[in-house]
Amino acid sequence: MRIAEVARDAYLAAEPSPPWVRPFDDAALDVAYRLARHAGTLTAEFYEQVVNADPPKGLHPLDWVEVVGVVVAVLPPTAFARALGNPLPALPVAVDGPPTGVEAAELAPATLNWVPVAAPADRVASVVQALSALPAEWDNLWQLAEAQYMSDAQMADPLWNRGTLSRAQMELVAGRLSLIRECFF
Amino acid sequence: MLSWSSTTEGRPADLAAIVRGEGDAGLPHGRELVAFAEAVAGYDDTALAAARERLVEVAGEAFMVDAAAVAANFEMMTRVADGTGARFADDPHGHRAALDAQLGIGTLTSAR
Repeated sequence: MRIAEVARDAYLAAEPSPPWVRPFDDAALDVAYRLARHAGTLTAEFYEQVVNADPPKGLHPLDWVEVVGVVVAVLPPTAFARALGNPLPALPVAVDGPPTGVEAAELAPATLNWVPVAAPADRVASVVQALSALPAEWDNLWQLAEAQYMSDAQMADPLWNRGTLSRAQMELVAGRLSLIRECFF
Repeated sequence: MLSWSSTTEGRPADLAAIVRGEGDAGLPHGRELVAFAEAVAGYDDTALAAARERLVEVAGEAFMVDAAAVAANFEMMTRVADGTGARFADDPHGHRAALDAQLGIGTLTSAR
């Protein structure tokens, strides 16, 4: 829950820390902060530094994937509420107990992503396999995508739309926002 | 995706709206959508309120709500891509490289 709070606060911060600062000296929180606020500055070199360091400066690669999963669960409802001018949704209350520990049955290194993915790697687009190492995070991501945008099946039809924006109008919003975020992909 | 969808719709979009935020991309309400996307990506709540109101004025509330959902989705997808080092598959015919050059994205830090 602390990772979620850090991500939400970083996203909304009026005066954020610069991207090269690690404000928490805790890898999970520092990665969440940088991803939420300065995602376009993340590099393979930084990823390698983090996953090759010992805690608290370092993270296991699957922990990195889980941090990404938490950040991308928190930001969309926050961004949606802010865009509408509505109150921001509260974060859920943490529940007791250990993490599920559920990961893909077999992991593989990928050439299309830094992070490990469910085997076999690189058979689907990099954003599709991105969180596949952790099935619960992958499910959550694609449920959100279907609710906010479209399912991957609908994506294959360049004319699919919700009856409000045309597909081209949707892609205009997507493209402009992604470029402002300096997202190469 | 914008090139593909707009060409399929029969009205190829002007990518300058994405690259520089200029114009309407040749799409209905394009100018207001660009302004709304920029305001969502920005940190000025007053500017966001103005862009939201303008979009509702020209296209209606349901249109604005769906535009907000798309913007929220790409606040998510940009983090998925940047947070996992997502890359494109090989581009043997150079189509991707040409588009990257047009959009000016090949040199972004997130491409490293």
